[in-house]
Amino acid sequence: MANIAAQRIKREFKEVIKSEEVAKCAIKVELVNDNYTELKGEIAGPPDTPYEGGNFILEIKVPETYPFNPPKVRFITKIWHPNISSVTGAICLDILKDQWAAAMTLRTVLLSLQALLSAAEPDDPQDAVVAKQFKENAEMFHLTACHWTNIYAGGPSVNKDFDDKIKKLVEMGVDEHEARVALSSYNWDMERATEQLFS
Amino acid sequence: MGFEITRFQGDVDEELVCPICSGVLEDPLQAPVCEHAFCRSCIQEWISRQPTCPVDRQHITSVQLRPVPRILRNLLARLCINCDNAEYGCTRVLKLDTLTTHLEECEHNPKRLLPCEQGCGLVIPKDELKDHNCIKELRALIQTQQHKLNDFQQELAEQRFTMVEQKRELQLLKDFMKAMRISNPAMRAIADQMERDEVLRWSNTLIRARVTRWGGMISTPDEILQRMIKRTLSECGCPAHILDDLMENCHERRWPPGLCSLETRQTNRRLYENYVCKRIPGKQAVLVLHCDNEHMSEEMMVEPGLVMIFAHGIE
Ligand SMILES: [Zn+2]
Ligand SMILES: [Zn+2]
Ligand SMILES: [Zn+2]
Repeated sequence: MANIAAQRIKREFKEVIKSEEVAKCAIKVELVNDNYTELKGEIAGPPDTPYEGGNFILEIKVPETYPFNPPKVRFITKIWHPNISSVTGAICLDILKDQWAAAMTLRTVLLSLQALLSAAEPDDPQDAVVAKQFKENAEMFHLTACHWTNIYAGGPSVNKDFDDKIKKLVEMGVDEHEARVALSSYNWDMERATEQLFS
Repeated sequence: MGFEITRFQGDVDEELVCPICSGVLEDPLQAPVCEHAFCRSCIQEWISRQPTCPVDRQHITSVQLRPVPRILRNLLARLCINCDNAEYGCTRVLKLDTLTTHLEECEHNPKRLLPCEQGCGLVIPKDELKDHNCIKELRALIQTQQHKLNDFQQELAEQRFTMVEQKRELQLLKDFMKAMRISNPAMRAIADQMERDEVLRWSNTLIRARVTRWGGMISTPDEILQRMIKRTLSECGCPAHILDDLMENCHERRWPPGLCSLETRQTNRRLYENYVCKRIPGKQAVLVLHCDNEHMSEEMMVEPGLVMIFAHGIE
């Protein structure tokens, strides 16, 4: 790893650890290996959003050319959000692409991701299905995102209705996560989800 | 890239830290409007990728970058930093602006060249001294020398071969010319003229000599002396066709009547000053060429000229 990247990450790692957000348990970062090329990030779902109460794990890969190029970040925790792929966890956020600036840090990245959870940008989507639902059926989107937060990120709000529907599909031999994706994509319409799963 | 912040004594103001590398500013430049400061190498690397300020993304270009204000430079210069070679035992703490000077002479620099003290005579970076093995090193040296020697020998053999070839061709050419000369009178006249011109040209390259003591003349030089003179003549460009004749004429047995014995030499002593003599470089000897001395009588001159060797007295 280039000297400059290592020097930066070491310092930023300390910066995050010492930051007030850590004190408030809002963001966290851990080393994955000794040479600072990979880190594990964690952000708390912001209040008054469907992600509230959840903890979201991030994979952070630091390129050799850091900080001249942004870190490669994706969600490990599955999440229902217009700018984050529900399949791969890939993130669509300008500062992780062409709007990156060398003075930005791990802390700014984590805080920006937290901000993204508070304010989705459905017109610049990563996940077209989620974005469509977000725009056309806000209530359904909210419920679905809450459900995903509950299941994958340890969020508090249990949705009995959704859980039952998934259970039915699982009893029919469908993989639980596949069932959840299908139901989420069809606004929890059992009939259409089943049709898609068995077609 | 800036200096690692942990190398400094006490706290370093955030103002003095490069937002790109997070080290203390090294050779800093600042953006024109926002005045954000960065290490020269850091900001140039960034601008080569995109023309923005890395802090606020205002548009900036390389030519707009300015030196930072004197006050900032002074603050940096006064910071106290440890030596780059601290991990190798240097305990010096220096003002940042004297670091470079110190590094040039720091005795803890692991790459500083030191002579081996076990006698091999090699000069080695300090950090390699520990594992240094004179015999091994010298052996490697011998091996490379041997390689070189082999290469030279091969080259020499090749040169020799071409030389032999060329000699053979030259001989052929000479024989051919000789035959032409014999069979064709016009050719003979041309060749003779060419030879005369060659001697004249050579004579013009030689420096006039003055003999101050004619009494030092050696009329019967020995073989060794003759060989020495011959070699010098050849080296200074003496045409090959007169070289042997000239050397024959360094001994009184081949000298003209006016010079060939002690008696005649006594008689003609006063004529010596009339000779036009040429210097034989580095030797106590002169060349008296026929072409330079047409004014001398048959008594005192022979073709193609004389070589006079002296014990001393040539200027
Ligand atoms: Zn820098
Ligand atoms: Zn030193
Ligand atoms: Zn040695």
